[in-house]
Amino acid sequence: MHNGRMAVVRLLVNGSVRPADVHPGTTLLEFLHDYLELTGAKAGCEEGACGACTVHVDGKAVKSCMVTAAAQQGKTITTIEGLAQGERLHAVQKAFLSAEAFQCGYCTPGMIMEAAALLNEGDVVGAAGVKARMGGHVCRCGMYDEIVAAVLLAAGELRRG
Amino acid sequence: MAEKLTRREALGSLGASVALFAGAPVRIAAAADGTVTAYTGKVELGQGSRTELAMAVAEEMRIPLAKVRLVMGDTELCPDDGGTYGSLTTPQTLPVMRKAAAEKRGGALTPPGEWKVLGTSAADVRGPEIVTGRQVFPGDARLDGMLHARVVRPRLYGAKLISVAEAEGARLVRDGGLAAFVSSDPVAPKRAAAAARAEWAPVPFPADPSGISALAAYFKANSTPPVENMNTRYPPLIRRGDARTALAAAALKHASSYWLPYIAHTPMEPRAAVAEWKDGGVTIRTGTQTPFPVRQEVARALGMDESKVRIIALTPGGAFGGKQRGEVEIEAARISRAAGAPVRVQWSREEEFTCAYHRPAGLMEVESAVDDKGKLTAWVHRNYNSGAAGLQIAYAIPNISCEFHRSPSPVRQGSYRSLAAAANTFARECHVDEWAARLQADPLEFRTRNCGDERLRMVLERLGKGPGGMACTLEKDARIALRAEIEVRGREVRLKRFTFVGDYGAVINPLNLRKQIRGALVMGIGGALLERVEFDQGNQKTRKLSAYRVPRFGDVPEMRLELIDRREAEPAGAGEAAIALVAPAVANAIFAVTGKRLRRLPLSLAEL
Ligand code: FES
Ligand code: FES
Repeated sequence: MHNGRMAVVRLLVNGSVRPADVHPGTTLLEFLHDYLELTGAKAGCEEGACGACTVHVDGKAVKSCMVTAAAQQGKTITTIEGLAQGERLHAVQKAFLSAEAFQCGYCTPGMIMEAAALLNEGDVVGAAGVKARMGGHVCRCGMYDEIVAAVLLAAGELRRG
Repeated sequence: MAEKLTRREALGSLGASVALFAGAPVRIAAAADGTVTAYTGKVELGQGSRTELAMAVAEEMRIPLAKVRLVMGDTELCPDDGGTYGSLTTPQTLPVMRKAAAEKRGGALTPPGEWKVLGTSAADVRGPEIVTGRQVFPGDARLDGMLHARVVRPRLYGAKLISVAEAEGARLVRDGGLAAFVSSDPVAPKRAAAAARAEWAPVPFPADPSGISALAAYFKANSTPPVENMNTRYPPLIRRGDARTALAAAALKHASSYWLPYIAHTPMEPRAAVAEWKDGGVTIRTGTQTPFPVRQEVARALGMDESKVRIIALTPGGAFGGKQRGEVEIEAARISRAAGAPVRVQWSREEEFTCAYHRPAGLMEVESAVDDKGKLTAWVHRNYNSGAAGLQIAYAIPNISCEFHRSPSPVRQGSYRSLAAAANTFARECHVDEWAARLQADPLEFRTRNCGDERLRMVLERLGKGPGGMACTLEKDARIALRAEIEVRGREVRLKRFTFVGDYGAVINPLNLRKQIRGALVMGIGGALLERVEFDQGNQKTRKLSAYRVPRFGDVPEMRLELIDRREAEPAGAGEAAIALVAPAVANAIFAVTGKRLRRLPLSLAEL
């Protein structure tokens, strides 16, 4: 219950400071999806079991349903809406397009954010490496092969610069 | 807030165009700028229907795909093309769209041999929206002045509400047995509903859904034998010759029975609907597969005329047969009426597990006979509870009786991708394999010998003999075969490789067809090896994704797909068929490797 008082939480999201009046227990996912209406981060399970809510916190992939919004103050948050540079898509977004790595598209923002963080950290080691690192994500439409192909495609793209 | 505007505009623009087309629904409208808008009651669920139907318009009107806009699943604007299920968009709606577009052009239908757009791989037109997070799912829809709502739910399966206490932070709204907390704060209702103090009247299960033998006995005891009716899509009784007499007279006989449990669709998006009342009518934005039947259900539930209900379908985060009935839509309409404001009802994952209907559990009994040449001569197949789809048989057997015995179910059940084809194909293809083993015949050779369909025979030839286990079928006009290769370590079964061959007639969009097949095969892994909704002491135990194993990255084997493209043949729908082959192919592979016959899903050597 929200017996705690409402309080303003200010987060740096996609380059601008965004305030919202929330309960203390509000998750980062609720803050982004429900208060800021940045709906790219999705609720799939709200218990850390699907990855649909994945965003970047200080460049690292985080399941936004598992942390509170209040604890993210002072950190840099990027959502799928802030991944592209204007109209220029991120390499992972482009790769998901060319590999058609989606059906319904509900898991896609979380998958893309995870892959973008992963590729930021350095090179991934083949399909097995991708599968291991993305293992916490579910695509109920079953586009796993396409997703692995997309991540490898983006990895190649980034390597070439 | 640019995002906010975009999302509201996306919803608003549909409303704005109503006035233009009041009256009989329009199929195709051309604008002065060269763009064409086509209307269909079918919806996009991720299966590629938006792109496919746009391709048909582009082809027949000789315009680029980018010039085609499709309005889908809006009961006010679109012709009723039937629900989006049963893999029907390709065989039924595609021809309708082609014909309408050719007429609009004022020319004849383009022969398949001259296709320029159809038959080629087209990227999903929704791609850019999806990869940027801009696609508006039902759970993302917002209207000005809208309240957020969460329904108060019982802990005990199906219990009825007696009373519920007001709570702080959100307003309690009641409409008969339905109670919800609503607020302009998007999160307050969720917390209030989770902590609600309510009294419930339990509704015990008429039979314990957790015990296989008790449930099977319940199905049999309460079932109704089928009555012949061939004028239906899934005939409940398919007869040829006299199967029972032939069986009684035969020397070589085999009988076996198979079981499958309740499983959950588990679409990635828990369902949501936004209802808005105006002038005695209600508009509902939702991720349904069936806007027109849901309009009817809402009208009936609210005691109003259908013309006063408008359903606008938004692409949901997955459906798989699980979003075909008015439930969250009716709740949203009722709560919105009681609250006096537009309302968004959002289900949680737990509600998705415990309030949505399940894929039916089922018992299949098969008895059959072969002659001294190893040809099947008699076949009796009884399905209890799970359904009639997939009862038809592609083997040339002179005497058959394939029967669906309808039964009540202790838990809510309904459609699931491929309906009962997964159940009936599992039984049939395992049973056939058991014959091959008994006769010491190669499983592929035994099937080819008995095959009664030329195109399926070619698919079998293409698949060829090989290691592991196999299954084949003729489902929804698709001829398909799958070989599964596995590894067994201790009691653990690992999938190594799937080899799939399919003849879906004329291939409309090869890229999307492959995605549909792979998606169906992956989902089939869940039913074959992982999924089962658990019950315990009269309640449903499965309530969380972390407690329900769906296929994940590590579960998927290497997949090899081969398609036979027959331009001259009618195209078959492909969203479902392949899912039916996974369980029997894997069960047969387990037998090939271990000598153990598993006849219950999910297949488990540990539970043997
Ligand atoms: S919603 Fe956060 S992991 Fe599923
Ligand atoms: S594309 Fe539908 S859940 Fe992944």
